[in-house]
Amino acid sequence: MNDKDADRVLDGNAAASLLQEIFVPEITTAQIQCVACSLTGALGSLRLYAVPMGTVLRCTQCDCVVMRLAQTPRGRWVDMTGARYLKF
Amino acid sequence: MTATKDAPAPARRLEWQPALVRDIVVETPRVKSLLLDVTGWRGHLPGQHVDIRLTAEDGYQAQRSYSIASPPEDDRLTLTVERVDDGEVSPYLLDNLRIGDRFGLRGPIGGYFVWTTDIGGPLYLIAGGSGIAPLMAMLRHRRRQNSRVPTLLLYSSRTLDDVIYKGELDAMADGDPNLRIANTLTRKQPTGWTGYGRRIDKELLAETSFLPRQNPKIFVCGPTPLVETASRLLVELGHDSLTVKTERFGPTGGQPT
Repeated sequence: MNDKDADRVLDGNAAASLLQEIFVPEITTAQIQCVACSLTGALGSLRLYAVPMGTVLRCTQCDCVVMRLAQTPRGRWVDMTGARYLKF
Repeated sequence: MTATKDAPAPARRLEWQPALVRDIVVETPRVKSLLLDVTGWRGHLPGQHVDIRLTAEDGYQAQRSYSIASPPEDDRLTLTVERVDDGEVSPYLLDNLRIGDRFGLRGPIGGYFVWTTDIGGPLYLIAGGSGIAPLMAMLRHRRRQNSRVPTLLLYSSRTLDDVIYKGELDAMADGDPNLRIANTLTRKQPTGWTGYGRRIDKELLAETSFLPRQNPKIFVCGPTPLVETASRLLVELGHDSLTVKTERFGPTGGQPT
């Protein structure tokens, strides 16, 4: 991983602004379960990749995509295919 | 909606509020703190951040996230801003912003990277550069509450001139037997320097950290390479990765929004 790529890696906590526009309860402490490996942890502990298309949240254990977020002129997309549940 | 123990702040949607600049403090050659009055601010927890939004005359808007450096006990909100040389927001904040100016702000945001005296300790804080800001809110809160929670701060800076809040941190550690501060200077050490003089490595962490069986609450904040290294080494030293909370800096010195 070069420096430029490393710069785009953040923590799930960094998705708080974007997600807090959608969710009313505190989102970074909500428990989220990875579909692939069943690891359950706070959303804020996921690894965040800030890519040009949007934001990708990956599992810290198996690296699978848990959540994808995109803001487009036609709306906000929250893809949670990789998450079994969110618990507040 | 019931607030949980982790997130005592009342649930509410994020709304932009005007922030008024009341004072500007020069911290280092590359860093200033902005002291703000935010009308209707409903309080925050140490470790939380805010979004700020600047609007140019032509309507162009730029938005960034900054950690709150002040404790909840302060009336004013303090943001500590480090210069990002090719940035579009930090040079404006550092060079053009004046006392009496206003900009948009929303928050507090993020209940995950948060510590209060209720959570207890021991508390182990690891900071790289301006990553000290959210950890400073925790230390200031601890001080204001007269907390005796055993606390260690490991703080990595490039040079002595780059150590943010140096005077305040030294004063905090003086006369507080429960607070230990270990500084490491990675680029240049002054003559007679008695602190560490290298990047954070396993030996340095082992020397400055609590033992895993003491179940410390660990917060790491700084540039991505430092956070990655420190969190990996802490796990190698036997700490549970779930007890290590991290906050990495993005390419703009804030977090993407």
